[in-house]
Amino acid sequence: MIKTEIINGPITPFQSDDNHRDDGAEVVFNGRVRDTENGKQIIALEYEHYEKMTEKEIQALAEEAAKKFPIRDLSCRHRIGKVPVGEASLHVSIWAEHRQEAIQGLDWFIRELKKRVPVWKWAVYPDGTKEASSHESC
Amino acid sequence: MSDTITIRVKCFSHVKQALKKDELALSIPKGSSTDVVINAVLDMAGGKLNAIKMRVAVNHSYEPEPIMLKEGDEVALIPPVQGG
Repeated sequence: MIKTEIINGPITPFQSDDNHRDDGAEVVFNGRVRDTENGKQIIALEYEHYEKMTEKEIQALAEEAAKKFPIRDLSCRHRIGKVPVGEASLHVSIWAEHRQEAIQGLDWFIRELKKRVPVWKWAVYPDGTKEASSHESC
Repeated sequence: MSDTITIRVKCFSHVKQALKKDELALSIPKGSSTDVVINAVLDMAGGKLNAIKMRVAVNHSYEPEPIMLKEGDEVALIPPVQGG
C-alpha cells in the first residue's frame, strides 16, 4: 500500500503494526529541523510548497519507489508551513521482506524527494525575519 | 486579434524573494516558449537569480524542454527544491 500526505501541522507518526507476517523489515525515518540553517541560528523552518504539484509528485515518487524496490508498503507524511526546531518535517515508513531493500528504498525515495517534489525551506531567525534557504543546505 | 498572450507566473523561494511577489501576470508575444518567461523573470530580478538553476512547470507538470505557451497557462519557476 502506498500512502502519502501533505500536513500543515505536527506530524502524527504512523502506527507500528505487528500484522505484517511476510515482512521482516519495518524502517522508519523522521527528518527533523536542526537549530542552524545557512550557518545561522534559527527558531524554525517554514516549508513552502507548490500545492497543485506537491501531492501529485510525492505520490508518483512513492509509486515509483515501490516499483523500483521490492517494497510492500510505503507511507509518507511531509509537513508544510512553520516547523519549529526539533520537530519532524518528514516521516516515512517502509515495509519490506528484507532489511536491505527497505533501507535502499528509503534512501532512494528521500534522495529523489529532495530533487523532485516542489517544496522549499525558509529559515526563520530568532528576530522573526526569514529568508529563502540557500541551495547548499538542502 | 491580439499579438500577445497573458500567462500566470508562480514564484517560489528565491524567485519570490527576488521579485517580492508570489504570482504575476505576464504578457508575452504569441508563439513564445517557456524560455521567454525565464528570461523575463531573470531581467525583472536584476541579476539576483542569475546563479540559480531553475526548472519550469507548465500547468502543474515539469517541462524539461522549452514548450510553446498559450493564453492562460500557469507557468511555475522551480528553483532547486528542498523538501525533507
